[in-house]
Amino acid sequence: MRAWTNKRSFITAGLTPALVLYTIFVIIPIFWSAYYGFFDWKGIGAARFIGLDNFVEALKDSVFWLSLRNNMIVVVASVFGQVPIALLLALLLKRGTWFQRFVRSAVFMPMVLSSVVIGIIWSNIYHPQTGLLNAALSAVGLEEWRRAWLSEPGIAMWMIAIPIVWNYIGPYLIMFLAALHSIPSEMDDAAHLDGATGLRKLGFITLPLIWDTLKVTIVLCISGSLKAFDLIYVMTNGGPAHATELLASYMYNSTFTVYRFGYGSAVSTLIVIISLLMVAGSQWLMKKEQR
Amino acid sequence: MKSSSAAAAVRARGPYQMSVRRWKEHITRFCVSCGLAVYAVVTLYPLIWLYLSAFKTNEEFYAHPFGLPQSWQWSNFARAWEVSGMGLSMLNSFIVTTLSLALTLLLGALAAYILARFTFRGRAFIHLLFVLGMLIPIHSTLVPLFMMMNQMGILNTYAALILPYTAFELPIAIFIVAAYLANIPKEMEEAALVDGCGYTGIFTRIMLPVSLPALATVAILGFLRFWNDFAFALVFINSPALKTLPLSLSVFATGYSTDYKLTMAALGMAALPTIVIYILFQEQVMKGMAAGAVKG
Repeated sequence: MRAWTNKRSFITAGLTPALVLYTIFVIIPIFWSAYYGFFDWKGIGAARFIGLDNFVEALKDSVFWLSLRNNMIVVVASVFGQVPIALLLALLLKRGTWFQRFVRSAVFMPMVLSSVVIGIIWSNIYHPQTGLLNAALSAVGLEEWRRAWLSEPGIAMWMIAIPIVWNYIGPYLIMFLAALHSIPSEMDDAAHLDGATGLRKLGFITLPLIWDTLKVTIVLCISGSLKAFDLIYVMTNGGPAHATELLASYMYNSTFTVYRFGYGSAVSTLIVIISLLMVAGSQWLMKKEQR
Repeated sequence: MKSSSAAAAVRARGPYQMSVRRWKEHITRFCVSCGLAVYAVVTLYPLIWLYLSAFKTNEEFYAHPFGLPQSWQWSNFARAWEVSGMGLSMLNSFIVTTLSLALTLLLGALAAYILARFTFRGRAFIHLLFVLGMLIPIHSTLVPLFMMMNQMGILNTYAALILPYTAFELPIAIFIVAAYLANIPKEMEEAALVDGCGYTGIFTRIMLPVSLPALATVAILGFLRFWNDFAFALVFINSPALKTLPLSLSVFATGYSTDYKLTMAALGMAALPTIVIYILFQEQVMKGMAAGAVKG
């Protein structure tokens, strides 16, 4: 009996701090923002209940939809940039000699840098007068290709997608390498005996075997696109004319620069819903595709 | 795999074809390696450029962006350190990171031990709760956390960073430690229990030392996350005296600074601790972050 109460109190005492901290700072905010989304609140004074007005306003705001579209650009760049590059690298780095391990470490390197550092580096690469990219274009005689990479609305979002892709290839590479290493080597030998090499082997043997990993990486590209905020803040702050606004930066700019906490809460809630929908949707699509 | 296929070729086609095949293979392999080397240089180039530029003068920065510095301007670093007030922000980052790490390790290890080793009512639910939290896009909590901490009166304190950092790192910490404990046999604890060691004793004297490798991974990942965080610091900290490193660097972002050499020197210094940690613990960083990406 004594042992039982002792055990129970240990469990309670041990779990409570972690659980309380986690619940207050991770779980409750979600409900909190869902609740305050129904209010008009400037940060001081009384909050006024306004029903669905905030949500309606967000859904009617063209900048909100522009941000969503830009998020989709990041998803597209990630799915068609990160995933193929990481997969190709994984196929080439499979043997893990010291040189290959060095390349793998180099590819992963940007992951340990602060996004502020990454943002400022790339802002300087894209700088219209002193930037590395324009200097490189001049050096190879493509003078007329020089431009203000982050100031032209048509290309700015794609130019920001490049550092995002560069930044996140590493973990995808590691996941693909782990998946490739889990393929039994008999499989490879059998493929050879059957005369499957190169692309045919990739399409008919390797890809189906690492399909689950591929699915995970695509879901991660989708959910990861909603995390891009720091780079935008540092590089363009959403400009020019909202051309690089993402949902997260839209949320930030429409809350903290104008003190509209009710509206910001509504947008935060929409981001959570969109994120869950996109992840659920992508998983459903891939399940269907497999059948 | 390639060598085994070459061996198969010997058996199938005799020595002549083998040598041709082998040459082809060598050449392909060489070309692939060259391609990989080029890729590695390209992917590292932004960093190489950062550190080379940090040693240049401003004139050199635009006149010779690709070359080595004509004379290495070590003084850039001292100037950048002074101008950006990096001493203070480094100290702030250090304090916040250390305290968050200590809290994450303690609470995470304790929770992981209990979730991994005890069966009790509500265990599955608590597990689910921690998994669920990893689906939440972190930026969607900025507004509600700002409002909540405003009401608690802890905005603009170290706690405004330490508490959320720890809370968001707990799921991955619990996941890593619990997964590690699952592979550790229970005999030692049972023996200790028989010997009259309490549960607290088992935790501090057996579980903590045993799970040291997992705790190291948690610490490395936590260090990188806390040291590099920008969004929370941006929203929850206003006071210049409390600014963390990424926040103090962001003044270089706005185009307000045209002193490129100092910008580069400041970035270079700020990034150095994480780069050193990465070089020392590459395997743990890569595996841990890849696992963290899947879970979070």
